[in-house]
Amino acid sequence: MSVVKAKRQNPHFRLDLYEPEADLMVLNFGPQHPSTHGVFRMQLHLDGEKIVKAVPDLGYLHRGVEKLCERLTYVQITPIVDKNDYVSPMHNEQAINMAFEKLLGIEVPRRARYLRTIFAELQRMASHLLWLGTFALDLGGAIGGGASVFLHCFRERELILDLFEEVTGARFHYNTHTIGGNRHDITPGWAQSVKSALAVIESRIPEYESITLSNGIFFERTKGIGVLDGELALELGITGPILRASGVDHDLRRDAPYHAYDEIEVKVASAEGGDCWARSVVRLAELRESLRIVRALVDAVPEGPICGYKPIKLVGQVKIPSGQVYSAMESSRGELGTYVIAGGGEGNVSPYRLKIRPPSFHALSALPYLLPGHMVADAVVILGSLDPIMGEVDR
Amino acid sequence: MAIEDNRSFTHPLYDFMLTVPGLSLATGRVDQLLTWGLTNSLWIFPMATSCCGIEFMATAASRVDIDRMGSIVRGTPRQADVMVVAGTITVKMAPRVKKLWDLMPEPKWCLAMGSCAISGDFYRDLYPTVPGIDTFLPVDVYVPGCPPNPEALMAGMLRLQEKVRLQREGKWAPKESRPETAKMIMPALRRINDPARDPSVDKAQLDSAMKVAGSEPLEEAPTPERMPPRSAEPVPIDGDLQALLTAHGVTEIPRDAPPLVPVARHRDLAEQLKKRGFRQLVTVVATHYPDKRDKAGLILTPEYYEVAYALRTVGRGSQLVMWRVRFEVPDGIDSLYGVFAGADWQEREQFDLIGVRFAGHPDLRRILLPHDYAGFPLRRDHASDAPCAPWR
Repeated sequence: MSVVKAKRQNPHFRLDLYEPEADLMVLNFGPQHPSTHGVFRMQLHLDGEKIVKAVPDLGYLHRGVEKLCERLTYVQITPIVDKNDYVSPMHNEQAINMAFEKLLGIEVPRRARYLRTIFAELQRMASHLLWLGTFALDLGGAIGGGASVFLHCFRERELILDLFEEVTGARFHYNTHTIGGNRHDITPGWAQSVKSALAVIESRIPEYESITLSNGIFFERTKGIGVLDGELALELGITGPILRASGVDHDLRRDAPYHAYDEIEVKVASAEGGDCWARSVVRLAELRESLRIVRALVDAVPEGPICGYKPIKLVGQVKIPSGQVYSAMESSRGELGTYVIAGGGEGNVSPYRLKIRPPSFHALSALPYLLPGHMVADAVVILGSLDPIMGEVDR
Repeated sequence: MAIEDNRSFTHPLYDFMLTVPGLSLATGRVDQLLTWGLTNSLWIFPMATSCCGIEFMATAASRVDIDRMGSIVRGTPRQADVMVVAGTITVKMAPRVKKLWDLMPEPKWCLAMGSCAISGDFYRDLYPTVPGIDTFLPVDVYVPGCPPNPEALMAGMLRLQEKVRLQREGKWAPKESRPETAKMIMPALRRINDPARDPSVDKAQLDSAMKVAGSEPLEEAPTPERMPPRSAEPVPIDGDLQALLTAHGVTEIPRDAPPLVPVARHRDLAEQLKKRGFRQLVTVVATHYPDKRDKAGLILTPEYYEVAYALRTVGRGSQLVMWRVRFEVPDGIDSLYGVFAGADWQEREQFDLIGVRFAGHPDLRRILLPHDYAGFPLRRDHASDAPCAPWR
């Protein structure tokens, strides 16, 4: 696998020095647009139908989560961060609790680590299924009425949500992780339910591949579109499937193991090309890989406690004196990090500063580099292939 | 001709129509037909901003399938009857929502989905959010939940149909009150492919959790004292890296925080680290520390900023290195833009939220907040419920 090389555009390109071939025009894309995956706005400066400059505008969903976390206690933060990346809430909860556990120096019991791994991988599958469905909608009628892929993917996503609902009681926003472990144990027949759901999903992955990757129109719309230079992706802090599609072999599950990933081999998906096609290939390969990991772990869940911290009865019970820590995990979109500065707050029960490092924010920062030179129709495809979730971009 | 009617409206055509035998019956039937058609074709414009938007998509997708109620989802306000506001509305987004509402043709209805749209939920008091969309939109139906299940949204649409039916019949539709406390929303439909859930399973799960929570060894778990971090990433610095840090003015490497680097040397350090394989700019975190004063009001320690940077190597055995830079408030810091392209947005975000000035940054503008927002919200001296006109 070789790192993808591409010409680097200048994001601060000066339009007054540009000599257009046709008329220059500004197209306002968003914030309400079905293809912006939430509320995201771009000003596209067009020369005819060619994009010469893209100016993204974020913050339409800035809810002040980091400020809110400063006035909540450590225990109260978990349900808040669920709402950041609302397509994979499990990852948010795990990331934030991993940071607190690291500050407190708590060992998570082995059973809880297994459960966290299984939840994380199931959530990754749900998230990638949702991405595939919405990406097909972005491509629209081109692939045989994109809505059919959307409906197929949501059918299987519901199976995974049912599994979570059985354990936690919620379809999403689970609030099932706590400092030191998990809050809800799995039910006796859950492993069997997981296996039957996985069998259904596995039988349908070839179907997705045949209606997307094997589709000539899908190939034409994505191949060679939005080629991201591997070195640039690293500088921008892009992680996850986008980085791996640019030929950089990096996955925190394998390279900095957490949970139970040190006990199982993770085959990192990769593709060459760095374009929208490669990003699709990587995500579909990750779907299969997650399926394999869950299947391997679900029978091997060890017995034991699910929480390594004393029972939490009061919201102000967890006190962290002082310290600064950065902890990261691989969410469906890449490195989901948390930087916590403890101490200095009121009574050591709430963080002094909490910064969430969202992978989607970094992914979107590639847009000014990717879009120039492409047509307007490709802008939708490139944005969809980056899979941004505005809840975690804006926080 | 005077009409024996309590209506104030008179028109020659209307008067003539009343004299035609059977016409009022016929128009009544046509009106019933139109009502039937209208209530069963409430096309939805999804104003989906966040989590509730995903549940809205699930409602429109295979399992629940809102299309069978005739509610087709339209991407444009011009073709829709109902605006479903699903998700948090911020002060930056609210004027756009109002504009889209105004673009919808009459008759139109509004459905507030989820507690953020209803009341702002736990973002209610925060500086960037609108405390409920009924501060600027006339809401017809409230669907509480965080997020509401697809079944709850379906029930909300049925309530809206009933309301439309009453309005068409000229009856008074009772106003929905804003749900003050979010009630637990239970699924109205049983899960379609879920076997009926055995109550003993619930009990077993609860018992198991209680047993774990109350078991003896966990009560004694030695947690309040800090144990050495199990796998603190910034600490295991090899000699080579330590020499590099020392060469850039680092005097000590603390155990519980990244080392402090002098302001003047930090860009140079970043360049050196990049040459050594730390090619990924992971994150930039700025923190504000307000001044400390004694009782007489004299400044003990002046106000200062700390900016932490994190870099990473890629591939197997990925290594993370972090450092902090500390400087007093009016000062700035050298931007890493030239070294790492990602510093562009990441430093801009920290400028937006904290107010740190990065010298040499090409585009130091606000990125998240509205461009006319006053102040920097993540500074410690900025109130979290700072007023943001016209909502608070």
